Amino acid sequence: MIYRAEEDIKRLPDKLDYKLVLLENHEDNIILRDGKIEKMLRATSLSLAINLYLDGRDGFFYTNDLRRDSVSNFIKQAYETTRLLEPDESRTLANPDRYYKGGGPDLQNFDATLSEIEPSEKIRLLRETDSEIEGSDKRIISMQTRYSDRQHQAHYLISNGFDASEQSSYCTLTSIITVEGKGGQHPMDGWGESRIFFNQMPRTGIAPTALRRALQKIGQHPAPGGRYRMILESPVAGNFLQPILNAMNGQALQQKTSFLLGKLGKQVLSPLVNIVDDPLQPSTRGASLFDYDGVATRRRELFKEGRLQTYFIDTPMSKKLGMKPTTQGIHRLIMGPSSPNLSPEKEGTSILVTDFNGGNCDLVTGNFSYGIEGLLIENGNIIQPVSSMNITGNILDVWQRLSHVSNDADPWETEVIPTLTFEDVAFSGC
Amino acid sequence: MKSILESKVPSKSPLKGEICYSDIFAENTNISSMVLQDGKVSQAQQVCLYGAGIRAVNGTETSYAYTMDLSENGLMKAASSLTPSPLRGEGLPLKRFSHPFLPSSRRGVGSEAARQFLLKVEEKALSLDASVIKVKAYVSQRMQEVQFAANDGTAFHDFRPRTSLSVNIVMERGGRTQMGFASRMMQMGAEFFSDSLIEEVVREAISRTDFLFSATQIEGGEMPVVMAAGSSGILLHEAIGHAFEADFIRTGDSIFTGKLGKEICHPSICIVDDGTQPNDAGMLRYDDEGIPGQRTILVENGRLNSYLYDRISAKHFGVKPTGNGRRESFRCIPIPRMRSTYMLPGEAKEEDIIQSVKRGIYAQSFTNGQVQIGAGDFTFFMKTGYLIENGKLTRPLRDLNIIGNGPEALRRISMVGDNLKIDHSASMCGKEGQKVAVSQGLPTVLIDKLIVG
Repeated sequence: MIYRAEEDIKRLPDKLDYKLVLLENHEDNIILRDGKIEKMLRATSLSLAINLYLDGRDGFFYTNDLRRDSVSNFIKQAYETTRLLEPDESRTLANPDRYYKGGGPDLQNFDATLSEIEPSEKIRLLRETDSEIEGSDKRIISMQTRYSDRQHQAHYLISNGFDASEQSSYCTLTSIITVEGKGGQHPMDGWGESRIFFNQMPRTGIAPTALRRALQKIGQHPAPGGRYRMILESPVAGNFLQPILNAMNGQALQQKTSFLLGKLGKQVLSPLVNIVDDPLQPSTRGASLFDYDGVATRRRELFKEGRLQTYFIDTPMSKKLGMKPTTQGIHRLIMGPSSPNLSPEKEGTSILVTDFNGGNCDLVTGNFSYGIEGLLIENGNIIQPVSSMNITGNILDVWQRLSHVSNDADPWETEVIPTLTFEDVAFSGC
Repeated sequence: MKSILESKVPSKSPLKGEICYSDIFAENTNISSMVLQDGKVSQAQQVCLYGAGIRAVNGTETSYAYTMDLSENGLMKAASSLTPSPLRGEGLPLKRFSHPFLPSSRRGVGSEAARQFLLKVEEKALSLDASVIKVKAYVSQRMQEVQFAANDGTAFHDFRPRTSLSVNIVMERGGRTQMGFASRMMQMGAEFFSDSLIEEVVREAISRTDFLFSATQIEGGEMPVVMAAGSSGILLHEAIGHAFEADFIRTGDSIFTGKLGKEICHPSICIVDDGTQPNDAGMLRYDDEGIPGQRTILVENGRLNSYLYDRISAKHFGVKPTGNGRRESFRCIPIPRMRSTYMLPGEAKEEDIIQSVKRGIYAQSFTNGQVQIGAGDFTFFMKTGYLIENGKLTRPLRDLNIIGNGPEALRRISMVGDNLKIDHSASMCGKEGQKVAVSQGLPTVLIDKLIVG
């Protein structure tokens, strides 16, 4: 298929550079609602992504209509569209010296059996999960348990010398519980875990954790506004890092819309912040030997003791900015603990943030306002569940006030970020 | 590497039961887009989505498969993996299915016309303000052709053109940089591309960016919020719209469960969800389950009049579907979704509403919002607005998250303006991983108390 598409491109009137990616996916999704199967979806799909480069003109094309004539016609239309564009000399393929040349580790991140496993076995896993809490609490209004898995394979063919394949898989089990709250409210919360192989899936703990989190929300109301210590729970800590990752993007730098412009090598976050992108650890989600441009991946420091170590610069942005290319983006983010022997401060009043509720961060200034919910804690004791509160400030200022990094991150996530403690954060509430 | 396609995928589902309903939704969608950046239209995208989803329903159980092979054999093969099987009982509605699609059913403009349009956008932006240093503009034409057939005799064939323009502006003054944007999305083809639209969207983007130079954040707390007419319709979308979607009512998750017919806000308030507004992004001649487009009154004179039903939830409650069954593509199972959600105008003048507030916020433009269905807590992010002091707009404000509780916020609406405006910004709503185009509108309203970030 991919070589036929290559032949079609070679038959075009002009000589073009190209990147072809043939994508194969299999997905299974099963939802159990209150013990009964509510939805089942399963499908296998094939599609083709094409980048055409013609003298600085760059077009991206995607089709899943892979009938022989359809692909040929699609490529002809793609060529006509690309011809119409204006040249931009930055828009080229990556330098082939940077391509992955083989010899990397076996990443062990693909379960070939996933699509062959009988659905009844996946349903059995769902029922086992449900059974842990079935009938255990009269306040449960509804229980939803979801299983989903995906196998992904991609074959890359790039005209300046790259021909390679990659594959990955994951399966996820999630429990979402709604309970009877106070004043007609129906608090809802969930818990989910992901693995690469089906036989690694946890058989216990997911539904009880979801139920505990939902019950914990009963009676939520805003605490008085003020400045509190903020403890950001590991599953949501990555959300608070995202604006900083966005500001490291070459596009934002080139458009002069990044609050990290001109900050390379400078101390921008607390000295406790050590973050790496490590795509080469076997048996981890997000592991990859090369990026979408075919460029070999490597372990890369993003922040060392709070100092910004790199930007995300792809080939076009490297030419526009006159900087060395680095990588398109992150694969597997890992934030190290501050000190294994150091415990977070428990004296005084803190708010444990268990989830974000909307909000945004301005990429130019770093000023943010996010809705949060969680628990008000005094001297280590839970006082009340809170919701309908905002945290506000400047993202770099708040990250300077990071006082503790725990070691409780889930290693199966693609962002391995532990629970974080920040001092003196502005909360608005009642 | 062994291909996924060579895997021995189990062909039988373990679901039991009799088929009650089955349908086929097939689409041939072509999306073409172009980007202007750094003075050049040097990037283009084209996407072709081609395939069919087959659904078998028994009560509230749904079994779903999709395929890119629209031949009879391909459809039968996909259907054979479903249980309850649509190949038995009332059967797969193949006879009502009139494939193939017409080849290349484009009704927008060609690539050269789109390129010229983007160049005009940049020219206009640079001519309006000398502080503009960067213009990024994006135009997208999505031409979706849909065929649908169900085993109850329903069938339709529809063509859904949807075009959007987004303009990002970067301005620099005295060493300071600000970025703003504006957008439009309509169900239109070639008629979308007008000079007047360029004028309108570019002026709006520049005006918003300019505003940011003087705007600041404020210390938050609980205060009255005046929602300006237009994009403030995000209030309805987040505060009540999602919680009115009948799948959340069927499962008991929504805070509005059991409130049908009950008074939930001031008797002067009426709220609708409308699939009949011409050219609106949320317009549907038929929804994605073959139900004709219609206007649904959600709140009538302060009482909860109707939820938003798809076929499954309507059957569960013994009512007629309201035409809200929507899906992102043939790969997705339809679920209840909003279309164009707005509040009917009241009688108050906007200046009187502002004058009634001693200290509060006038919220003008927004970027994003979300809701927690069970608790009813919603948020939306105000990009631009003003502080109201002693009945007057004073300090320009920016970047504030506004939080409330849906039922409480509805009850706290104390004044409704006479100036309903539907917002046609490019607005995509996400639910269960599916995005669909929507719009929203609101006259100026006063909410007596919300938490401002």
